[in-house]
Amino acid sequence: MSTPAAVTARPAALTTVTSYYRLLIRTQITVARLLGIGTLGALAVVIGLFARLDDNSPQAAADTVSSYGLAVLVPLATLWLGTSAVGDLIEDRLLVYLWLKPVPRWQLPAAAVLATVSVVVPLTALPLVLSASVAGAGDVAWATALAAPLAAVAYAGVFVAAGFWFRRAIWWGLAFVLIWENGVAYAAEGAARVTVVGWASSVLGRAPAIDVQLDAGSAAVALVVLPVIAIAGWLLATWRYRSADID
Amino acid sequence: MLAPLPPHRGLPLSAVEPRVVAEGVSKWFGPLVAVSDVSFDVGPGVTALLGPNGAGKSTMFRMLCGLAVPSKGSVRVLGRDPRADTGVARRIGLVPQQESVFEPLSAHEFVTLTARLHGLPGPASAATQALETVDLDPSDERKLPAYSKGMRQRVKVAQAIVHDPSVLVLDEPLTGLDPRQRADLVGLFRRLGGEGRCVIVSSHVLDEVERLGSQVLVMSQGRLAAAGDFRELRALMDDRPMRVRVRTDRPRQLAGALLEAGTAVGARLDGDDLLELDTMDARALAHALAPVAKDRHARLFEVLPLDADLEGVFRYVVQR
Repeated sequence: MSTPAAVTARPAALTTVTSYYRLLIRTQITVARLLGIGTLGALAVVIGLFARLDDNSPQAAADTVSSYGLAVLVPLATLWLGTSAVGDLIEDRLLVYLWLKPVPRWQLPAAAVLATVSVVVPLTALPLVLSASVAGAGDVAWATALAAPLAAVAYAGVFVAAGFWFRRAIWWGLAFVLIWENGVAYAAEGAARVTVVGWASSVLGRAPAIDVQLDAGSAAVALVVLPVIAIAGWLLATWRYRSADID
Repeated sequence: MLAPLPPHRGLPLSAVEPRVVAEGVSKWFGPLVAVSDVSFDVGPGVTALLGPNGAGKSTMFRMLCGLAVPSKGSVRVLGRDPRADTGVARRIGLVPQQESVFEPLSAHEFVTLTARLHGLPGPASAATQALETVDLDPSDERKLPAYSKGMRQRVKVAQAIVHDPSVLVLDEPLTGLDPRQRADLVGLFRRLGGEGRCVIVSSHVLDEVERLGSQVLVMSQGRLAAAGDFRELRALMDDRPMRVRVRTDRPRQLAGALLEAGTAVGARLDGDDLLELDTMDARALAHALAPVAKDRHARLFEVLPLDADLEGVFRYVVQR
């Protein structure tokens, strides 16, 4: 038997965040999740094909992106992957292997948000852009290319935080998507301003000659608000990771 | 509560003597008290934390590593608070009790990840070395779920030693291992302790602890029941009366012979074929039973120690 290597200085942030990121990507991505989200994405493209038949196809494409893409596809995909990023590690009692390291606590939540975004964006934004494109709404496609990733970033922050805070966070997240994002958002004038889907729809509304049902405010403000939501989620996750007992 | 940090606070951790100190540590979860007012001071060498399942060993270990915050009292590892000071983690290696592993990873990938998170300059080669240390093949590309329980246990030990920690906290590390693997790992732990590391190993198996080393902490029902030299504890345990149930066709004759020989100090008949014997020397009773039965033409159908489990042992130690 030999003696293992001696330890050196605290590892560089880039090294550890990258290590966490790779691990989380490998634990997050499963065939079931890819197939599930892929199917939801393919449905968006099919709906886009039908939207092409509409007399006002740009508006129909925008409605598809807004009411299906931003309100259902993106939040559900992000929920599925975001809550599992760390939630699965907590459920499986594996977090202990990552916690007891000379690594600042903010890095694991940051890696979880990055991993979630990097998987969700290609699986949701691309089909939605394709959906608008096949509907013949080029301007909507461009707006979608900005709105969907921004929504994914904001939702990733929210759901990664939920994964740290709640056991079985997916149920909490599902209630959030159904009740808050698809109920409260439409309930009253101005309610959209306290929802991710409202601000993401504002970005979509930048496309000329279309009218989005939800509009939280100006697209410029949305460009700030959505990343801020992600940062807030990341900070909440970090705080929880720093203060909670690890099982 | 612990006194303020010792004078070596400003020293690099590598220069501090490996020492783990718990003072008045309690941990409760709502109404459940898992650990109650436990204090100890453990230095270099192997120390066994002995106790039955549910005694609070794992909770204690989680607090030693900073994974859980004591509800009361304080813990110091190398003079620092392991919860607040992430730098201490660089000097701690932990084998947790849970069996779960990162399913998509191979053993080498898992240990390399650990090495990388500890900031080792050559994480892959360090992982190779650690896996070889626990007698595993670093080139084995199978994912961890394909490993046997014993192999996974050794992978957990490899990730705990890959960064050459000065404090090793091992929660039931010998579970699931075959006798040869157990002997190898016990040898490794003893060697690591002999090199000046503070090695704390938990177990609920007395014989395992006997082979690990001389210093023991005994926990029972969340409390520290005993601490000190294992041989003293062993003697204490060996001195306690034990009860053995024997099913035989001639219980009265067997009891008489064993009492006469002094192998049993008490006997109680139960029905036509059951006999409960009290003995101060279970080993002597075991040796004497078959010859005496043969001599008295008694047939033995069942011999069952009634309180050989650790709970019985700990109850006895705690009651004393």
